[in-house]
This record gives sequence, structure tokens and C-alpha cells, in this order.
Amino acid sequence: MMHIYLYSAGHISNQNPLSDEWFTEPIIYNKRYTRSLEPDFSAYIPPALSRRMGKALKRALVTALHVVRQTGIDKPDAIITGTGLGCVENTEKFLTAMLDNNEQLLPPTCFMQSTHNTISSQIAVYLKCNTYNSTYSHRGTSFDSALFDACMQFELGEISTALVGGHDELTPDYFRLLDKISYWKEGEISEKILREGNTEGSFAGECSVSFMLGNKSRRDALCEIKNVELLYNPSERQLSQAIQDILQSNRLRLQDIDMMLAGINGDKDNDSIYKDLHTAFFPDKPLLWYKHIFGEAYTTSGLGLYVAATILQKASLPRHLVYNVGAKTSRFNNILLCNHFRNKDYSLILLSSCLD
Amino acid sequence: MTNRIVVTGMGIITGLGIGKTATLHALLQKRSAIGEVKYLQTIHKEIPASEVPLTNEQMYQLLTVEESQICTRTALLGRIALREALEEASIYTKRPKRMAFISGTTVGGMDKSEQYYRHFLSDNTRNPYIEAHDCGATTELIAKEYKGDFDMMTTISTACSSAANAIILGANLIKTGRQDAVVAGGSECLSKFHFNGFNALMILDKQACKPFDAERAGLNLGEGAAFIVIESEQSAKERNVVPICRLSGYANTCDAYHQTASSPNGEGAFLAMKKALEQSNLHPHDIDYINAHGTGTPNNDETEGIAIMRIFGDNIPCVSSTKSFTGHTTSAAGGVESVISMLALQHNFIPVNLNFSQPMKELSFVPAMQSKTTRQLKHVLTNSFGFGGNNSSCIFSQTEL
Repeated sequence: MMHIYLYSAGHISNQNPLSDEWFTEPIIYNKRYTRSLEPDFSAYIPPALSRRMGKALKRALVTALHVVRQTGIDKPDAIITGTGLGCVENTEKFLTAMLDNNEQLLPPTCFMQSTHNTISSQIAVYLKCNTYNSTYSHRGTSFDSALFDACMQFELGEISTALVGGHDELTPDYFRLLDKISYWKEGEISEKILREGNTEGSFAGECSVSFMLGNKSRRDALCEIKNVELLYNPSERQLSQAIQDILQSNRLRLQDIDMMLAGINGDKDNDSIYKDLHTAFFPDKPLLWYKHIFGEAYTTSGLGLYVAATILQKASLPRHLVYNVGAKTSRFNNILLCNHFRNKDYSLILLSSCLD
Repeated sequence: MTNRIVVTGMGIITGLGIGKTATLHALLQKRSAIGEVKYLQTIHKEIPASEVPLTNEQMYQLLTVEESQICTRTALLGRIALREALEEASIYTKRPKRMAFISGTTVGGMDKSEQYYRHFLSDNTRNPYIEAHDCGATTELIAKEYKGDFDMMTTISTACSSAANAIILGANLIKTGRQDAVVAGGSECLSKFHFNGFNALMILDKQACKPFDAERAGLNLGEGAAFIVIESEQSAKERNVVPICRLSGYANTCDAYHQTASSPNGEGAFLAMKKALEQSNLHPHDIDYINAHGTGTPNNDETEGIAIMRIFGDNIPCVSSTKSFTGHTTSAAGGVESVISMLALQHNFIPVNLNFSQPMKELSFVPAMQSKTTRQLKHVLTNSFGFGGNNSSCIFSQTEL
């Protein structure tokens, strides 16, 4: 039987970078726009090199190198990235120069580093890795698609290790653009406002998260990835069926799922489906959220995987991650992750503990 | 391979025209689409390209899409190609049980974003196009052409190999039994953004490109879209559709050398072709035609040529770059060139390489100049390489083999 283990995770986000301090002491923001707290890049990449890189690429490379160091796997069999917007900083620089200078005297480096696949390919160049390399850019399921592909490569027997990441930067200009189309709430943000979810929008974050996966058991593994499913525009019935299929294929009963982790972000149109699913399937189990801490970015679902994996590894559930106040669990065996974008693109991920 | 994968439909639009028939005729008549830029609003009129000879308004009409609907040029091109592919595969007559849509793009909605960017920043007149900018939005806009629901959808963006990797993902979805059929390919319109980007990199030829020629001086950009319907042999049988051919092998590798240059010995290209051959259980001498990536840049054609020599040795099959017809359709290229390769297989001809006159001293072969072939084409290989060394190869074979 095939196993996929999550060996290591590393993040750069609005929480302290490359650390799991958020687990016990999350930094709470009340702003609509939070940016990533950056680590000392020079601990990972030579300054001469990192100066030439845009934020998204620099952060991605550092989180990737972090999990490479943690695991000692420096030549993964696949490098797969999800990014909703790609390298926005360089895209904007080139676009603005093009418009300002009327298509003349343009900086080629910005263009070179503007393509979405810059991240996966530059990680490969850095690691000198000739293996499978791909990039997904599909809105709120960009990361989920990358993880899905990795799992399929394992299943096909093509790979035994994979470096999978989700990376999105949000520049001030892109924040403003998305603000115009109601991505972000007005005024101050609070946990209360997000929990109530009576209004449109969420608050903005940035995300860079990398994982090393492998098919051999390791003592330091965080958890096991049992299933990743992607669905498009499913009916309620299809969604229920998909959940039941996942349980069945893993010989689990409904009551074996100890927690459900969802992409609740305070947007009224976004959140209701999660609450409905929770009520229908796991009403007495904790419903977990994480976007109230990390904010919303196209690939924040990658941080969701990291949060759920950390809970399983530590076999502990901090109160601040529980959406349905008061819900508790004494078991830390299985978590079902549900993510959707605009009620169209869905992902379902099943994680299991690999503690004895 | 237990789950044999067959191709049951294809759709294409490029500068050569709308649909497979127009494409086939242009290829046989050796009529290139590369010429002066007419539709793209650029100051660089001195640089040729291959444009789809339709305005956006004409495409709206052709598709009978209401003009009030937001649609970018990439999405319009994609819809036209998708429509043809769905029709040929009789999707509406009998839908496969489970069917996914995988599309590749990099430019996405940039054609509108670059036009309206000042408005995005300063007023609210063009706000609906903000949401149409990203790659995933483009896929969803293209998918609207299908009057039904796909069971799964995602978007690949590996620059110029995006569509090839969409086909590869699709094949793996079928192989693992997750889907019965997948519509896969890519779409990309010309944008000022990447036209200027390639120009800044100084890799655009001011004349028609000359792939595999000693005097080659760069590529010409093109626009287009192509989608193919792949499905399990079982699904095609159940739906009673006749396969066009088989997708017998494919591979994705990384050159891991440089963001815009390929390694001197074409390692990534070599590995992609080698692994695709291994997967198809074929020997190099089984391949009858290679549709090369062949951009026409000094760097690509030399390293790809070397990689071909490393694989095929003294027995190099016909090789051509049809980018001399269509221009480099970037993210769509893997789809466009898969369709061209399958047309070659279906109609038994070699798509020629235009504008060749001087052999490259680094290579032991010259590109194909003659359409006629005495050989019955059985297996064709197509290469798609992207920025950052995202290299992929696909092999299409006659169904009965």
C-alpha cells in the first residue's frame, strides 16, 4: 500500500517566519492588509543572488531550502509549485516601465522573472534538479492542484520525494486592485468580525509555504497525506459523495474524523458552505480555521495544510484555531481539510497522524 | 500500459486559420502566417508575428457570445479551439462519465490588464477586468464554452510548455483512473507585455524566423489555442467514438540550468525525449517525425539539436519546427504542435520547416523540407520547452499499434 508522508514544512507569512510560534502565540492584526515578516535571507542564499530576486521568488527559495535542510533531501524527485498570481512585483515593474516608457528601454530581468514558473524552475536551478517540475496557477486551488499532482506522481510510482509549495506575494498596487472588487473588508479587522462573517471580503495576507513529501516512513514526519481530491462546481450531493468516497477508500467511518479544517475567512458568501458541511457531517467535532490569523491569499490553503499537519504532529489543539467555540477533541488521528474558491473550485484533503 | 490513452478530438486556432482543415491546408501549401503586426497595439511594427486574423469583436460574433460578457483575447481563442475539440469528440452526443478540463496559459488576461492598467489604478471603469487577469480566471472563461460541467478543472503555467504539461496531467488523471476523459491544451494571445518582454531579451527576429538555420536570428511570436480530448480506450469504446490516435508516451523534466538559456548539451530536452520514449516502450528508430520546439533562437535550436543527436544518433528522423508557420504560440504551443503532429500522423505528411537554407555546423542533420514521405508515419514526437527549463515531450502513435 502506498503512503505519502509530510516530512517537513516551512513558511514565510504574516507570522514569525520559519517558526511555529503562531501555534501558541499568534500575532494578531487588525489591518486589512498584512505583509509577510521576512527572515534573514542571507542565512539561506547569498546576498548577491537574493538582491536580484523578487519577493515571491526569494521567499519561496528560502522556504524550499528550509525543508531541504530539515530533511536532508536536496534532490527531490519533483518540484511542484502553486501560485495564484505568480511573480507580481516583477510583472508590475515590467508593465509599468512598458507603459511609462512607451515600450522602449525595458528591463529584461523583470520580464524573465515575471513568469509564474520562475519559482519552480529557479528552485530547480538552485538545487540542480532535472526532475519533474511544474507550476499550477488556478486561483484559490493553485496550491491544492500542486499537492494533488504530487500525490498522483507518488501513486504512479514516478517519484519517492517531492518538494511542493504555495507562494503568493501581494504588492500594494495589487492589494488596491483586489480591494476594488470586494476582496477585502472595509475598516478594522477583528476576530469577531471575521467569525460573524456578515459582510463581503476578508483581509489580505501573503503566503509562502514549502513542504517536503516522501513515501517512506520517517520518525520526524508531521503526518500522512491520505487523500487529495479536486472537484469543480460540485452539487451538494456530489460533495457529500466525495467525502464519503474518501472515507470509504481509507476504511474510515464518519466518527473517525476528529476535526474539520476549513478556509473560513469572514466573507459571507465564502463561509456558509463550510458551516453547512460541518453541520451535515461533523456537528460535534471541532471546526478549525486559520485564515483569521494568516489572512487571505490565493495559496493560503497551503498554510491550512501546514496548520493541520502541525496539530497532528503535536497532538494538541490550541483554542484560537477552533471556530465553533468550546468544541474539543481528545483524539488526533484524522483531519479533513476542505477548501473552496467562489463555490466553484473545491479541494478535499485527508490527513492522518503518523504518531504511534 | 493498462489504461491506454487515445485522442478523440482536437481543436485549433492560430494565424494559419480557424480549425484543423485550415491548419492542414496551410501546412501542405507551405503558407506561413508570419507577417506584419495588425491587431496588437504596439509601436514595434518592425517586428513580425503571427496573429489570428480576427478582432475580438469578430470572435464574439463567431462564438455568439454577448458582448456584455467579459472575455479576454486568450479566452476567446481558447473557446474557439475548445468548441472544435468537443464537437469532434462527440462530447455533446455522449458525455464521458467523468471529464476534466486542464488548460495552460501564462499571459492570461494580460491583454486587457495592460490596456486598462491605468484605469485599474485610478478609476472604477474597468474593474470587471481585474478579476479576469489571472491564469485560473482565463481557464474558467474558456470553460464557459462547454454547456455542461467539468468534474475537475485546473490551470498549468509553465511558460512555453504549459499546454504540453496540461496534456501530461490529463494523461495521468486517466492513467490513475481519476477521470475517463480530459480536455487539455492551452491558449495564449499576443500581448504587448510579452511581445516587449521577448524583445527586451533580444530574441525576436526582425524577419521571418529560420529555425535550425545557421543564420537564424531569433523567434517570431504567435498567438493561438489548441485543445485535445484524451480519454481511456475503454471510455472511447463505450462512447462509440473512433480514436484519432494514441498518446503513447510523455515526460516532464527540468533543464535546471538558467531562467532563459538552455544547458549546452540540452540535458533537459534529452531527458524529456528519453523518458517519453521509455514510457512508450519505443526505440528511437521507431519515431518517424519530430515536431521540434525549434524556436529559431541561436540557443534553443543548437541545444535541442544536440539533444536530438544524443538520442537518435545516426538515425535521425524528419525534424521540423512549425513555428516557421505559426510563430511561437508560447503557452499554447504544446497544444498547437500536438495537433499539428497528429494531423501529420492522420494525413501522412511531414510538416516542413520553412525559411531554411544554411545547415548548422553544430548539427548532423538538417530540418525537413519536403511534405511528401514514402514512409507510413506511425509514431511522432513533439517537444515543448519553457523558460526556466520546463521541458516536456509527448509521443503520439497510430491507434492500432
